[in-house]
Amino acid sequence: MPEADSVPFGYHARYLRIDVSHGSGEYLLLDETMLRQFIGGSGLGVRLLLDEGAAQADPLAPEAAIVFAFSPLVGSPLTTSAKFAVVSKSPLTERINDSLASSGFAIAGKQCGCDAIVIVGRAPELSVLVIDEKHSDVHLEPAAEYRGLTCRETEAALRSRLGADYRIASIGPAGEHLVRYATVSHDGRHAGRGGSGAVLGAKNLKAIALRGSQRSGWAHPRELTELSRSLSQRSFGPATAKYRELGTAANLLTFNRFGALPTRNFQSGTFEEAPSISAEQLSATRSKTRESCVACTIGCEHIYGHGADGVRLEYESLFALGSLCGVGDADTVLRAVRRCDELGIDTISTGGSIAFAMECVERGWLDVGGNDAPWLRFGSGEALLHAIELIGARSGIGNLLAEGSRRAAQVIGHNSISIAPQVKGLEIPGYEPRALQTMALGFAVGARGADHNRSGAYEVDFSDKVDRRRVTLDAVRYAIETEDKAALMDSLILCKFLRGVFDDFYAEAADMLRKVTGWDVSAGELRETAKRIVSAKRQFNLLAGWTPAEDTLPERFLKTPLPNDPAASLSHQRLDELVAEYHRQRGW
Amino acid sequence: MHVEFFGLSRERAGTARIEVQAETLGQLLSILAEQIPPLGAFIGGNRLHPAFIANLNGDCFVSDPATRLQKNDHVLILSADAGG
Ligand code: SF4
Repeated sequence: MPEADSVPFGYHARYLRIDVSHGSGEYLLLDETMLRQFIGGSGLGVRLLLDEGAAQADPLAPEAAIVFAFSPLVGSPLTTSAKFAVVSKSPLTERINDSLASSGFAIAGKQCGCDAIVIVGRAPELSVLVIDEKHSDVHLEPAAEYRGLTCRETEAALRSRLGADYRIASIGPAGEHLVRYATVSHDGRHAGRGGSGAVLGAKNLKAIALRGSQRSGWAHPRELTELSRSLSQRSFGPATAKYRELGTAANLLTFNRFGALPTRNFQSGTFEEAPSISAEQLSATRSKTRESCVACTIGCEHIYGHGADGVRLEYESLFALGSLCGVGDADTVLRAVRRCDELGIDTISTGGSIAFAMECVERGWLDVGGNDAPWLRFGSGEALLHAIELIGARSGIGNLLAEGSRRAAQVIGHNSISIAPQVKGLEIPGYEPRALQTMALGFAVGARGADHNRSGAYEVDFSDKVDRRRVTLDAVRYAIETEDKAALMDSLILCKFLRGVFDDFYAEAADMLRKVTGWDVSAGELRETAKRIVSAKRQFNLLAGWTPAEDTLPERFLKTPLPNDPAASLSHQRLDELVAEYHRQRGW
Repeated sequence: MHVEFFGLSRERAGTARIEVQAETLGQLLSILAEQIPPLGAFIGGNRLHPAFIANLNGDCFVSDPATRLQKNDHVLILSADAGG
């Protein structure tokens, strides 16, 4: 194993590059200057992808690279830091995709003596990639017996075969079928958006199983322990109470009140059945437990039901498989969420693609190429559940919807692209852009498409900084601030639900990095780092063929005011001005 | 005026809405802290804890305690952190 001349604390200063065509791996050195410039997680992942020339590759081709990136904070006692980023070119958007998950996989991956794992090639048959650092071994094992298993079943089977000390990330049946929004899952958590599960599926990888023993050490362990204790203490306070006590599902009724709850494929911002699928109603009528990701003191996960039947419910799943499809039956929505988790598909893109098809059926447009599906109606829970099955199996209409709403619209015609709920091909999360116009800008310019995790611009809309339904160019700098902050959080990596506890995020992040790495890093340097990471994503997209015309929203949002709230109107001209000002302020 | 609670503030208030008479936002918050002690932890003096925000009639977000309120206003109390 090569060793760098000087290895900074918190790092191993090398990555493991594996070509699964041959089942072989090698450790390659990472330069300290580059690590300081991109830190880890999303930042390091994008940098490595650029070096691999991944922007120009077909994301499902053997030569396409996918990166599992860790960070200097992984393995530290800092709360919420056990995270990894899965970074690749998205098969859904053909642009950069970085999705994150929290779990012991991050800790075990870093213990393999590397800061990232880069995978290229295609295994000759469905396989499990086994990385056993303890025995300096990387090899492939046949996985035919796991074909069709859910992520949870795959993990359980592999642990009993390989040993309980292995951590396993896997894909479900949808990843095997190359559903363009398939997820990578570990321990019930998903690196959910953009289709990294399909990238693994295209490499014939059902799972990655790893174990290791290497630690990277901290520059100032005593101070780090003190800082971690204080951060954990703050994480018990009011800033995270919403996540602990109700979870993100509590957004549903709030958004409904503000006319910002996407309903029936964004035809409305209010859903008359919202109360019946609200977190409040679910909590009152069902047993509920709370769980945490590894190394997290917040514990935002609210699980409805027991044991294997328990469903981890987030606002995004609730809106996408509830109001967006017009489904107001709580049991059906919970079943739909569970089935998406089992199949390994992103709930937002699943709900968005199905809701889009439901509106096409309503308009009489879904009648081409054997895709006729008259049963696919808004409000039908049965139709929703059936469509999810078909997507997971790429069967019937599911084969079209597995492509996502943008590609489906190209097949359907009728200018249905105008109502396909996506930006750059990524389905829009649960924020009605006309009612939340800073978020509309965040969606339009997002490097990975419409996304609420890479731009927190909705926070600006829910503040006195802007008038959310009549935003002006003043909103642009706020949108940029949230995007920069997210880029840094995703590279450190820290959970976004911690963001409210920081008085001065950049200064506190610099303090964490100083204590872990020993670098004399300042808040100012981290502000520059955040911008560098955002720029690297843009550079990737430029190489992948990005054009300015992509930074927009579907026509529906720019031509039709929200029916229930005529003041929520966003013209083409206003969005164009916002986007132009965004590019100007970015210096692009 | 009508006070509507969302999310955590609803949990703490134990109700979705109540009627309160006050002339300013600050006055309203002081009354809420007094009448509903579990909400008090989120109200310091006549201001909301930064983790919470108030909105007037679904339109503008308000934080200045001197903000004047009208008899038929709807004051919405919700988490500042709207994301998920
Ligand atoms: S706050 Fe929630 S999502 Fe974030 S690390 Fe903790 S349990 Fe995981």
